[in-house]
Amino acid sequence: MALPLEGIRVADFSWIINGPQIAQWLATMGAEVIKIESQVYIDIGRINPAGMADRTPGPNRNGFYHALNYGKKAITLNLATDKGRELADDIIRKSDFVLECFPIPAANKLGITYDRIRAVKPDIIMISVSLLGKTGLEPAGWVGWGPMACSFVGMFDAQGYPGGPPRQTGGTWPDYAIASAVTFHVLAALRHRNRTGEGQWIDASMGETVIGQMPEWYMDYFMNGRDRRQRGNRDDVMAPHNTYPCAGDDKWIAIAVRTNSEWEALCRVMGDPDWTRDPKFADQYSRLRHSDELDAHLARWTRKYEHIALAHQLQQAGVAAGPVLDSVELHEDPHLWEWGFFRKIDHHEVGERILPNMPVHMSNLPELNYSMPPDLGQHNREIFGGLLGLSDAEIKILMEQKIIY
Amino acid sequence: MANRALDDLVVVEFAQMVSGPMCGKMFADMGAEVIKLEPVGAGDEMRAHPPFPGDIPHPEKSGSFLYLNTSKKSITLDPSTPAGAEVFRKLIVGADVLIENHQPGHLDRIGLGYEALNALNPRLILTSITPFGQTGPYRDWKGTDLIEFAMSLTGYNTPTMIDDPERENPLRAPGHQAEMMGATAAAAATMFAIFHREATGLGQWIDAPCWQAVASTSKIEMAALTYAGVPFSRMRGNVATGLEPLPCKDGYVYTLWAADSHYKALKTLLHNPPDFESEVFDLLVGRQANDDVLRPMIRHELLKYDTEYLVSEGQRLGLTIGPVFTVAQAANHPHLRARNAFVEIDHPVAGRFEYPRSLVQMTATPPTSTRAPLLGEHNAEILGRLGYSLDEQQGMRAAGVI
Repeated sequence: MALPLEGIRVADFSWIINGPQIAQWLATMGAEVIKIESQVYIDIGRINPAGMADRTPGPNRNGFYHALNYGKKAITLNLATDKGRELADDIIRKSDFVLECFPIPAANKLGITYDRIRAVKPDIIMISVSLLGKTGLEPAGWVGWGPMACSFVGMFDAQGYPGGPPRQTGGTWPDYAIASAVTFHVLAALRHRNRTGEGQWIDASMGETVIGQMPEWYMDYFMNGRDRRQRGNRDDVMAPHNTYPCAGDDKWIAIAVRTNSEWEALCRVMGDPDWTRDPKFADQYSRLRHSDELDAHLARWTRKYEHIALAHQLQQAGVAAGPVLDSVELHEDPHLWEWGFFRKIDHHEVGERILPNMPVHMSNLPELNYSMPPDLGQHNREIFGGLLGLSDAEIKILMEQKIIY
Repeated sequence: MANRALDDLVVVEFAQMVSGPMCGKMFADMGAEVIKLEPVGAGDEMRAHPPFPGDIPHPEKSGSFLYLNTSKKSITLDPSTPAGAEVFRKLIVGADVLIENHQPGHLDRIGLGYEALNALNPRLILTSITPFGQTGPYRDWKGTDLIEFAMSLTGYNTPTMIDDPERENPLRAPGHQAEMMGATAAAAATMFAIFHREATGLGQWIDAPCWQAVASTSKIEMAALTYAGVPFSRMRGNVATGLEPLPCKDGYVYTLWAADSHYKALKTLLHNPPDFESEVFDLLVGRQANDDVLRPMIRHELLKYDTEYLVSEGQRLGLTIGPVFTVAQAANHPHLRARNAFVEIDHPVAGRFEYPRSLVQMTATPPTSTRAPLLGEHNAEILGRLGYSLDEQQGMRAAGVI
């Protein structure tokens, strides 16, 4: 049995996080993703010190790159040369998708624009991922990376503590956070092409994806002219609803109470202290109104307990709670291992490591394509020789000329 | 409209609040017929959630509900009754996808688990979106967006760059971002399953947990541990992803100086202050190792300039730099207006408002939203199509089935 996208080929010019995360969906689901890299402009994932195995540099040793690029093929092609761009076109002619995240000036210089690509391959589906879209006014031409899109559309302002300065959401939001949404539309475009023969251009603005994922803020503005700004962990309905300190250094538990029965269960776990009988906390609406006081009481209690054990105890009693996990705790979490979130690899340069899998299970597919993250230029011979039909001698010359480079 | 990529698909949505409805909305806006099953009486719980126009609660006026349920049809149904289960089964026979976001085991308990549904319709794709997934020790845990987000490493690292861990407790991202991550991952997986079905004729069951989806947004922070051997810290000074909005003369800007060329542009933008001359800053490794020296210097210099200068001149120099806006500022920004990032939708009860238009823009098959349905608006249409007479519908209404 084949994976769903077997037979589909992607010319992937993207790098760092957002494009690679989209391409990873396509690759693990069976598409042949040809990641076009170059030593002239190396993917930051390959060189960022944060992910260097044992803090030793080397383009094939980086966990940042490995976590985002398994399942793909990697070639090196110098797009700054005429011949390099010609070879890229040869790959595009044999591809279903072109994926790119160049800023407009670079895209124009390299010829990776929809109008030009469409002339090379009329039914191509081109996916452009950018900060704020590739049409419109001046910001369309800006260079930037994901979090700048959050800054622009109000997410970082809303992320601050109430009354405080804007703050950044973790996980270099929205670089990874937009990938599944874009992938869904990419697949709809593929279905449309399969049915009609028509390709198209997907102009994905990270900023617009984030807007579409924070409707509470935008709808409040459009309905009431209200700028919601910062809400901390306050919910519109639930209380208690916050993160509370636990025993130890910088340990926290999240607790969210929706119903009266959950509130009563929480009170029982706490041993029904007197303060819980204050009429202020008698019903959901009143608890919401007195959230600050409620939080102060709760924090005095949670502080005495270990965060993971307390979460288990609360869940057993029927209260929604979860420990705030740091990176060590996340990698030791029994649920994530049993569910199959992590995978052990044995890589020829860095040995045994742990990488996160794709975050879904599908009951009727063969194992997803989790082939080893490619070394820089690992598939040069396969792609330039096999796919494009160049001879070994030709490839050797192109390497000497720093075109395959 | 002729060009609708998914206009041949029928999707049944048995889901409330954010994750399932967002997934359903993505299909509906791409042209699928999405039939939303709502609890008899109050409907989707989200109908009771703000914002409301004028802050006056009304089940047809919740802004969150109206946005998350565009382009759908609504029927009210209680599938835990025998007659309701029969309607459910008839819908499933003609459906391509069922989206649901109940606690694991709930569908089984009402006799509508995957095996039963698969026997009715082997082509059906069941997409289950849950907090923690269908297997594993937390399978039966209660989850909410706050819990899912807080437990992901991204939650530990939000907000970034902590100075005082006692005062700066971990925050969830604005809105329901963990639920959004589960919803969009589920939508992508469902599309893959549709391709698989087109090749094999077979459906399948998709297990799409929100926690795992949002945990997948911290790959650098994970690699810092599993590759570099450095436990990730949320404190200021971590070298993995420690970035933040920075104050300038009249507001905030967001910039970074990871690439060497960007650092060079930043120096030029700040008129080459003498302190920046040290060679140790010229390479990324040196900048990260000396972040505690370099960052305060940059913060100090940025305060001398306003947003307009920093962004327009910085961008001219090739620096990744942009403004930090509030939602109201963004909603009125000429660039987003020029791109038609918002669309006006009229609703017979709630009124006419702008909505975020679409998650991405597409030239041939753009996502397109029509208004959300009234509670049970399509009861007669859908039940009639399933073969129930008007009398039978009347009886079901009286019995509280619909």
